[in-house]
Amino acid sequence: MTPAGTTRGPGRPLEATVSTVLKVGTYAGIALVAVGVVLMVVDGRSPLDVAPSLDLGRLPADMAALHPSGFLWLGVLLVLTTPPARVLAALIGYLRGREREMAIVALLILVVIALGVFAGTTGS
Amino acid sequence: MEIGLLLIAGGVATGLFGSLLGLGGGVLLVPLLTLGFDLPVREAVGVSLVCVIITSAASATVFLDRGVANLRLGMVLELFTAIGALIGGTIAFLLDERFLAGLFSLLLLYTAVTMLRPRGTDAATEPEAPEADLADAPAQTSRTRLGDAMSGASYRLRNPIPGAFGGVGGGVMSALLGIGGGLVMVPVMHVVMRVPLRVATATSNFMIGVTASTSALVYLLKGGIDPYATGPAAIGVFVGAAMGSRMAHRVDVGMLRLLFAAVLTYTAFLMARRALGVQ
Repeated sequence: MTPAGTTRGPGRPLEATVSTVLKVGTYAGIALVAVGVVLMVVDGRSPLDVAPSLDLGRLPADMAALHPSGFLWLGVLLVLTTPPARVLAALIGYLRGREREMAIVALLILVVIALGVFAGTTGS
Repeated sequence: MEIGLLLIAGGVATGLFGSLLGLGGGVLLVPLLTLGFDLPVREAVGVSLVCVIITSAASATVFLDRGVANLRLGMVLELFTAIGALIGGTIAFLLDERFLAGLFSLLLLYTAVTMLRPRGTDAATEPEAPEADLADAPAQTSRTRLGDAMSGASYRLRNPIPGAFGGVGGGVMSALLGIGGGLVMVPVMHVVMRVPLRVATATSNFMIGVTASTSALVYLLKGGIDPYATGPAAIGVFVGAAMGSRMAHRVDVGMLRLLFAAVLTYTAFLMARRALGVQ
């Protein structure tokens, strides 16, 4: 029996999966950001310094060279992509559970996020 | 380096007090970055969006594990908050910084007023909406299969269309001001959609991630997020929010609310000066 005030239906395993995706993504992201901040302190960099812009191709080299920006950018990227990842996890769960309406909702959310990426890369 | 440590300390303070007072981190962080560290408002909003995703995700997992957050309702509503965030994230780069500062000033004033209200009439603290009200559910009540799926075991969802419009509004506000959107979404769910308060609060918290990440990705790709400013602020807010959630049940926040209402009012005045170009 579902407790009063909570979600009805056999959704608990899906909620556990979504929660796990959130935990892993967020804590991994914050750990990378923390490493970046430690490297900032070691390097004597200020938050007001001009940071290198995001360049995905340069990230591995920056991280290998222990540049703070490499860890900070990867951490920020992980934090920002964790919510879409949990929507994807929910989409897979709804498809498996044959919940067509909720699967469509999850898919539409991903479409809106993709439109945001498109909007961010154009017209700037 | 000293500025970095100051920013971490400022982040800890905003995370701590935001958590104790039930405010999203953005309401306190954006003025701190703008007025304290002289960051442009838009850049402060970008930093704040990353921070609210981190803090909301940490508590959302707890709400999900405890079964308080309504996953289906949250996902349907976050479709609309994400649409709002997409609109807000796009127009944020077309608006003048001074307009954003003015808008934030109004948000601060509104937040200060809500903190001064007696707790019983505050949307975030008022008694729970009537539950198990299936009998008096008229045409406004959701009767679709999706509506049933979004309803809880002891409550039935009402007014889904106004709720969806509220979601778009909450998403626009979140994207323009770098806040989680709970100030809009908790009243929308609780008052308009008749969702019990604790479910509305938990579900709103769960939704913040998708709402904020939609606009934060726009900010990121348009160069509106600075990793050097984001890193120390995010670590500080994360630590402060964790401390606040552990201290919340041991601290009497009555005086703290009064004090912060005054601080927010003064900060609103400073943001208004910035909006008017007065140094």
